[in-house]
Amino acid sequence: MGIGADTMADLKSVCSLDSLRCHPVDQPPDTDFVPPDPTLRTLIQRKKKQDHRASLKICKNRHDLYADELERLTVGRKPEEEADMVPEGEVVLTINVYYPATFEKFTYVRPHVTLLMTGSHSLAELRDAICCVSDLQVCGEFSNTPDMAPDFISKDHYKSAFFYFEGVFYNDMRYPECQDISITTIEWAKTRNFPAYSQAKMEDTRFVDLKLKVGFPYLYCHQGDCEHLVIITDIRLTHENDCLDKKLYPLLTHKHRVTTQKCAVCHVYIGRWFTTDDQFAPSDPCLFCDKCFRMLHYDAEGNKLGEFLAYPYVDRGAFN
Amino acid sequence: MSVKGFKEMDFYRKQVRSDCVELLSRFQKTDSVRFEVFSNIWREMKFSHIFYGTLNREKRAFSRLILDTAYSFFLPPFSFQIRVGGLYLLYCLYQCQTASPPEQIRLALKDWLDLSKFEKDAVDAQHLDAVYILRQLMFQKAFNFTAMPTVLVYKKKRKVEKSAPCEEFMERATRPQELINIELLEELSNIHELYGNLKSSVSLTSEQADPSFNLVRKDLIPQLRSTVMDFYKWQQRKDGTDEDEDSDEGTSSKQECSKRAELIASIKSKAFGEAAEAPKSRRHRQVEVNQTNYEAGPSHSSGYSRRNKPSLKTRTNENLYISGDLWKEVTTATHISRLTTLDFVRKEKPKEYKKFKW
Repeated sequence: MGIGADTMADLKSVCSLDSLRCHPVDQPPDTDFVPPDPTLRTLIQRKKKQDHRASLKICKNRHDLYADELERLTVGRKPEEEADMVPEGEVVLTINVYYPATFEKFTYVRPHVTLLMTGSHSLAELRDAICCVSDLQVCGEFSNTPDMAPDFISKDHYKSAFFYFEGVFYNDMRYPECQDISITTIEWAKTRNFPAYSQAKMEDTRFVDLKLKVGFPYLYCHQGDCEHLVIITDIRLTHENDCLDKKLYPLLTHKHRVTTQKCAVCHVYIGRWFTTDDQFAPSDPCLFCDKCFRMLHYDAEGNKLGEFLAYPYVDRGAFN
Repeated sequence: MSVKGFKEMDFYRKQVRSDCVELLSRFQKTDSVRFEVFSNIWREMKFSHIFYGTLNREKRAFSRLILDTAYSFFLPPFSFQIRVGGLYLLYCLYQCQTASPPEQIRLALKDWLDLSKFEKDAVDAQHLDAVYILRQLMFQKAFNFTAMPTVLVYKKKRKVEKSAPCEEFMERATRPQELINIELLEELSNIHELYGNLKSSVSLTSEQADPSFNLVRKDLIPQLRSTVMDFYKWQQRKDGTDEDEDSDEGTSSKQECSKRAELIASIKSKAFGEAAEAPKSRRHRQVEVNQTNYEAGPSHSSGYSRRNKPSLKTRTNENLYISGDLWKEVTTATHISRLTTLDFVRKEKPKEYKKFKW
């Protein structure tokens, strides 16, 4: 800029942090409490809230604890090896993936999971990071063979999935069992007055190649009919305070925890079995945890007692 | 950062904005762009205290809120002095915030050009402290280069409060002067002359050009210039009279406006207050007017006289009444987990929780 050293020194002293200090040097203030006699309106309001909070006896918020835990694992983490470092100039996207909507219950909250991804990640990696309970669903009645249940998870059976961004369907074609499930929508759209949609492969597309609108709802569909809303809330360049370890991405920053249904007998464990037409159960249908289910319905050798129909149940909060 | 934390911070938004406006209006009154002046005001108002009293997660959410509020003052259409004030405010807030690691200032893509222009203007005018502070912020990596100025959060409010930008901070409109500047006028007059010469060289008669060739206004350029000068003079006069004249003048015109507004508001309230009398055939469905209190609370805007229909739950509660134990059973939800409990009934005291009124 062409200014002299004296001017620089002057500038430095004028603009230093000392000029902003609002308290005497030897009395560091207590930043946890609002100072007495506040003049700023924000402080007046905050003092009211503080006094109100002091009058109640609330212990620490459970959700804050979970959020703190998540942050501790991720913020400012640098990798051990140079190769895993996120390069400068990399774009970070904040993606909200919403849980599938339940229409029988009107909710004021929109439960979602927030993931951070870099521009050089592919869509397939995003797909792998999304955990949905419908992937764990097991179809079928298992009262006669309760031990066989875990072999049939839906995630392994129905591997197809697609993303829909800006008129293009991105299908997952990594496995031989994957089918193109977006073709039905595309053909239906052709018969109506819709603009033509195109297709692409999920694993070949990276985020930098996509054209996106911030805040616009997009779709992720798997299991044929389980649809999730996907919204990009933020796009920015990486910063030194971000987590710089590539291996940790996709990064989970926020997750809604759903209340789980407990066993009807012990009220302690989460329900894993769902019975109907059950002569032992107090209600129809009824939920049991694994232990109580076996204790009540099977004898010591594992033989079925009485008449009932049992289905494996996956609770919505299974990923809590 | 939890979504809930951001939603709570919404309640602070108005007070934070008014505090920032207070600080900047004091700065505006000093008519200076020096950082010393700004920091004097900062110390006077003890502005660093604004961060005190926040606990844990609130620190980050509050820093985010106040930085976003201050950022809006840094952008056009505010006047240069206010923008410099906004820059100083951002710097001070960034340094004094309690969140650690510090919350960044979000710089949106669309504002990058404005920022470069601002820096250029400051350099040209030799406002060294402004330039120093800007470069210091860059050096400390205080900026986050983002696509959008604020992180997207979905709010479910029926009425979104739009805060009107401060009129006093706005810059005077200079678009006509910018559009029609000296260079443009010179070029226009050159082209006009060339055109005139071309026309006369084309016409066959040497004395006078054919009147049918006169398609262009002859005195276009002088007229343009005089129009712009008139506009500029009018602007100066308007600002001059605003400052010179007594405040009485201002309030009398304001009084007129408010009288009219009051009249309109009273007419409207009367219209909604009385129900129209139904014709004889519908008399049995005569609408009854609820004598509700029209005092506006902090959340209602004045003159908004629509009554919300009470929900099905409240209507049922008001109209239906069953006595005794059955009523209790009907109103409380069935606890499925209690279907298999022991027989004795524990007396339950509902937990009392006083809700905080913002």
